Amino acid sequence: MSVTEAPDLKSRLEPYFAFVGPLVMILMILLFMGVMEPARYFRISNLNIILLDAALYMPMAMAMTFVITQRGIDLSIGSVAALTAILMAFLVKGYGFPAWLGVLSAIAIGALLGLVNGLVITKFRVPDLIGTLAMDLVYRGFALVLAKGLVLARFPELITGIGRGQIPGFVPIPVVIGIATFIAGAIVLRNTYFGRYTIAIGSNPEAAEMTGIAVDRHRVYAYVLMGAAAGLAGVMLTGKLNAIQATSAPYFNLHVIAAVVVGGTSLFGGRASMIGSFAGVLLLSMMINALVTLRIEFFWQSVASGVVIISSVALYTWLQKKDRDGSGGLITALRTPDNARLLRLAGGLGAALILFLILGFLFAGQTVPSG
Amino acid sequence: MSQASEPIVSMRQITKRFGGVTALNDVDLDARAGEVLAIVGDNGAGKSTLIKILTGVFQPTSGTIELDGEALAMNSHADAIERGIDAVYQTLALADHLDPAANLFLGSELTKSVLGIRFLDNRKMRSEAERVLADRLGVHLKSMDAETSSLSGGQRQAVAIARAVYNRNLRILVMDEPTAALGPQETARTLKLIEVLREQGLAIILISHSLDDVFAVSDRIQVMRRGRRVGTVVTKETNRQEVLGMIVGAGEMAQEAM
Repeated sequence: MSVTEAPDLKSRLEPYFAFVGPLVMILMILLFMGVMEPARYFRISNLNIILLDAALYMPMAMAMTFVITQRGIDLSIGSVAALTAILMAFLVKGYGFPAWLGVLSAIAIGALLGLVNGLVITKFRVPDLIGTLAMDLVYRGFALVLAKGLVLARFPELITGIGRGQIPGFVPIPVVIGIATFIAGAIVLRNTYFGRYTIAIGSNPEAAEMTGIAVDRHRVYAYVLMGAAAGLAGVMLTGKLNAIQATSAPYFNLHVIAAVVVGGTSLFGGRASMIGSFAGVLLLSMMINALVTLRIEFFWQSVASGVVIISSVALYTWLQKKDRDGSGGLITALRTPDNARLLRLAGGLGAALILFLILGFLFAGQTVPSG
Repeated sequence: MSQASEPIVSMRQITKRFGGVTALNDVDLDARAGEVLAIVGDNGAGKSTLIKILTGVFQPTSGTIELDGEALAMNSHADAIERGIDAVYQTLALADHLDPAANLFLGSELTKSVLGIRFLDNRKMRSEAERVLADRLGVHLKSMDAETSSLSGGQRQAVAIARAVYNRNLRILVMDEPTAALGPQETARTLKLIEVLREQGLAIILISHSLDDVFAVSDRIQVMRRGRRVGTVVTKETNRQEVLGMIVGAGEMAQEAM
């Protein structure tokens, strides 16, 4: 009896793995910080900082969940956010638009830029990775052309409210916005054509096509949603800093992708987890805040995001693998002929590098300070 | 019994050319209600092209299709579905990450209106899916929540068939190699499904490489060879040798000799 029930339990738990993964990591961070720096990490003001930081990424992570579930990717969101924010700044500060219209225009502009991404991918058949990477250059270029080196600062109260306002005795306004977008995203994923077809397209594009789903149209929708979310993030970033410049938001894309992937949404398509993405955003913000609290240099953030992406994708791929028998651990794996060759290659490269370093030190001349 | 009834669909003198290649040459096909017509033949014999014309995916170069005695012109697979002709493909065309109900209704979801906005009616789709699987196919899935990827080959087949039979108009169901990827037990179950559907009065066209399956469920066998119809035989009145002979071409020679 118990033998037949064991796999049943596992398959019943499987949908929740996505949420449990980041949750375990969040707990580990909490434990670690509880030992290392409890006083500074667990202050209310610090928790507010974490939430404020996480809120910025929430709309984008929600939209990116749809994009990635369709087997897509969007590497242009940082530039979309910067460009929309700068255009909004011009509209509000240069042309005297009322703040609320500026915000709505920003979201519409973001959606439009997302539409361009989607059309580039579906109509010109440029692979999403290259297409959005190239559009990232285009959008960033426009932002630089428009704003030059200027820092546009001092925005109306509505925009700073969206970026860093506080509901007295409650959470910051951007957190409310972020959570609201996630709830909307979860409903769209579960209860609309777009959500259903997003999963179908990512799960089996040919089948989706055969059952009469307009695959390309729904892929464009995902990029439009992504663009609108990036536009909203641009507004939130502008409000949070009360300033914007063309080089703002350089790491949005990988940060958001990391959050979505760590939350259990599969890069191979078809598997979406809204609540996982939410947990992923929280996890990354807590991790980065922990690095700051431990007085580790800011640039390690980029290292940490990269490591999180690789390790979570590798972990989920391993969990997905049905047949784990007979692999026999690391040592046997290293003994296979192919891996032995790779090992020799790695050894050779290492030896060559060591040789070069030794030679370099032996023949070292006068050092030239670069400064 | 099958000889008596009029065919639902008759394909007459169907020819299909792709550029200079003639895939089908003067092929006829009749499908009758409550009957399983098997189409057999070697690779490249024109089986797939023939059923793709019947299901509206391809349009014939020449020849006519009649449905209930009326000329039928189809421009797409959707036209065929509307006229009650559908197919279950070998790949099944299932999205493995969705649950069975979502797959059954994929592309034709049931909706409900909330505040004027159309939302998917997941609950209704689930109960309908359960009803169709149980009533039409006699299949009970252990869990309607599990992803389709966790189902067995036969259950996945049932979901794909249920998608076709949910259409009340459905009268002709084409099954392309339904048992090719299944083990013996699952194959037996799928053949059972075919029999159940036949009893419900559907015309079933079964494409198969397995003569075992063909002799187990079919009423008539249409043999194709090099884009032509070699012949159509009544299953009860023939045997494996004769059919095999027709597939490889020995039958032609024999007929010529007679």
